[in-house]
Amino acid sequence: MTFNSCSREKEVAELVARGQWPQASTPELRVHATACRSCGELILVTSAFQLARAEVASAAKLSSPGALWWRAQLRRRNAAVERVGKPILGAQIFALGIYLFAAVAIFVSQARHGLNWLSWQVQLPQLSSFHLEALWPSALFNPGWGLVVLIPALATLALLGGVVVYLASEKQ
Amino acid sequence: MAAAPERKPQRMTWESILPNALAGDAPRAAELPMDSDAFAGFYERSARPLWAYLARVSGDPALADDLMQESYVRYLAAARPDSIQTEGEVAGRRYLFRIATNLLRDHWRRPRQASIEEIPEEFFAATASSAQSDSQAVLGPALKQMRPRDRQLLWLAYAEGYTHREIAEVTGLASASIRLLLFRARRKVANLLREQNPKGGQL
Repeated sequence: MTFNSCSREKEVAELVARGQWPQASTPELRVHATACRSCGELILVTSAFQLARAEVASAAKLSSPGALWWRAQLRRRNAAVERVGKPILGAQIFALGIYLFAAVAIFVSQARHGLNWLSWQVQLPQLSSFHLEALWPSALFNPGWGLVVLIPALATLALLGGVVVYLASEKQ
Repeated sequence: MAAAPERKPQRMTWESILPNALAGDAPRAAELPMDSDAFAGFYERSARPLWAYLARVSGDPALADDLMQESYVRYLAAARPDSIQTEGEVAGRRYLFRIATNLLRDHWRRPRQASIEEIPEEFFAATASSAQSDSQAVLGPALKQMRPRDRQLLWLAYAEGYTHREIAEVTGLASASIRLLLFRARRKVANLLREQNPKGGQL
């Protein structure tokens, strides 16, 4: 395909774009346009697209600009909050990493020394002075009263825990 | 003319971030660069041409609705280029078309998963009703035979009247290649239009 554009194309394009073709054109330009393939194509294509643009644009059903404005506002706000929260999240991940590293390091160093710090667990059952049941309330050993105390206590704890988590997340 | 005072670049530190965040800097950063009244005016002037572009290039009015809404939301929510401050609404409009063009490209790149049963009935109704208009009858079949990129270039050049430089800015193509691509696309669509209307040649 050869790529030859006409020198008068600009002149024709301006008139067609302004909707003044052929009224405002000179007779000489009109004669040229009928003979010139490039100018003829330009007039044909521009007229078709201008007509289509006018018809399609008038058929558009537009939504409310206010709704779009609020959607954009919400998206920008969320992005800003996320941007602010990013360094805090990074610090939390860093702290967790340090904590895990320290825990592993301590465990490894103790393991190298033969896990001496766990030896007390082996001796625990043999100790005559170690009576765990002495720490528990006697009501727990009574099957009737024990459950009456334990279940409401656990339920209260669960309820309070839920309230604390809810309040904490609400504050964030 | 007095020289503007030189601004020192601000270093980002924990002390500078956290108090600002706690003092509500996030909501201030979330403020849009355009108030709702100014946006309503801009929307009124630019929405119809944008919808026409999206509907004609995609050939799908329902998709044009979705992409137009998303284009405006992104236009408002994104950090906007400096040219909008200097050139005003003309540059803003160009930027809007650029967002819409990118969204269209993303849509075409996405793998198609929808089956024919999932497409709403209104889509076919809308396509059928718009097919009755004169321009659709003339230009529609010709555009269907063009590649999506050619449809974009032709619409931007001959419906919107953009220059080659502006089309390059909107589409992301090299400015030098626009001329040749447009020339080829125009020749092809002109031949198709002549084939449909052999008597007239002109509309």
